[in-house]
Amino acid sequence: MFVPEAGTCVPWDIKKKEFGTIAGNEELVKKEWTGLDALAYAFIWFWVQR
Amino acid sequence: MSDKEKLYQERFARYTTALDCGKPDKVPVVFPIGEWFVKYTDTNMQEIYYDVDKSTAIISDLIKDLDFDTMFGSPNLWWPPMFDAIGCKLYKFPGIYFEENSGFQYIEEEYMKAEDYDEFIANPTYWLATKYLPRICGEFSEPGSYRASVALVKGAAAFAMHNDKMARASEKWAKEYAVVPATSGMTKAPFDTLGDALRGTKGILVDLRRRPDKVVAACEAIVPHNIAYAMITAAGDTTFPCFAPLHKGAYPFLSPAFWEKYYWPTWKAVIEGLWSMRKRTFFFAEGDWTPYLEKIAELPDKSIVFCIDLTDAKKAKAVLGGRFCLYGGVPTTLLTYGTPQEVKDCVKKAIDELAGDGGFILAAGGVVMSDAKRENIMAMLEAAREYGVY
Repeated sequence: MFVPEAGTCVPWDIKKKEFGTIAGNEELVKKEWTGLDALAYAFIWFWVQR
Repeated sequence: MSDKEKLYQERFARYTTALDCGKPDKVPVVFPIGEWFVKYTDTNMQEIYYDVDKSTAIISDLIKDLDFDTMFGSPNLWWPPMFDAIGCKLYKFPGIYFEENSGFQYIEEEYMKAEDYDEFIANPTYWLATKYLPRICGEFSEPGSYRASVALVKGAAAFAMHNDKMARASEKWAKEYAVVPATSGMTKAPFDTLGDALRGTKGILVDLRRRPDKVVAACEAIVPHNIAYAMITAAGDTTFPCFAPLHKGAYPFLSPAFWEKYYWPTWKAVIEGLWSMRKRTFFFAEGDWTPYLEKIAELPDKSIVFCIDLTDAKKAKAVLGGRFCLYGGVPTTLLTYGTPQEVKDCVKKAIDELAGDGGFILAAGGVVMSDAKRENIMAMLEAAREYGVY
């Protein structure tokens, strides 16, 4: 099991390996993945930041 | 530029100048929201908590003719439908468990057990997602089930919906009423993250005697997360300070020796980590923090806004003044139990003692709750404008 660094749930580096070669614009995919991953991270941590 | 835009810029300059310890044209004044206004309207607590649109409309009507610079707080700290969606055990809200004009209640338990420390420390986010959420959310009790899957979808959707509604409300108040937001983002002291929602008050106090090394290690593991959480919830903004409600650090919850050993090092690390990104922390020191002022003064200049509730104001000015913006000056208890004249006298005293060379924002020192009196809030605003001219 990997240990996601703070601010991430499933880091881009791990997801990128699962995607394999990205034929189009990798930065676009990365940007949106990272943004949604951060939202998920905030949702998980919300419950202990009361 | 419209008159509203000009007024916004004027208030923005006043507030941010004070945040940087400068001397603006007037002492910036904060309007406290909280839940106090409910009893002066035809609504009730359940409606304010559940119906965000109605709550926003009431506040809009309330603030339209008032003269203040920034607004602080929220009538509905929590949006109950999000908690209902996942069967969250952390809170009970009016309308289901209590009559509709009650406040919410936090149900404190040891949701993280003593034997969970090592797993949490090793991988905090993983532990929260796989162990903590199923424990606090009845709908997640069978992970992967139909009920759990649907609840997760609804909970995450509610989280995004509520954040969006609050962001839109803030935009509306800025555009239509020239109200400057007081903060962006949220964080906490690691000891509070651990002691409030994970181990609970009883749990962490026992841990300080039986497993102090675990407390230290857990707090250290939380530090990078509380920095990341602040920046994510602020959407990267560094203009406004990050709100940080502080609970178990107020004197005398911990002895000074325990405070220095268990509370302060990791809280300091969060503040310094944020300041390395130029993100200032809104050090929301409810209660009395007088014994800790010298330690707080170790922080980098301007890295916090220090909120004075019951802390000795003169000592705070002497120890922190000039290097950190000071905020508050009006105890929340006075807004509940005082008279308008006592509030006015308090405002004058606070401005006389704290505002002299800038770097001061006039406000209630803590969260203004439902028992505050309307006439005292208005007296605070009026007196702030009367006395708060440089």
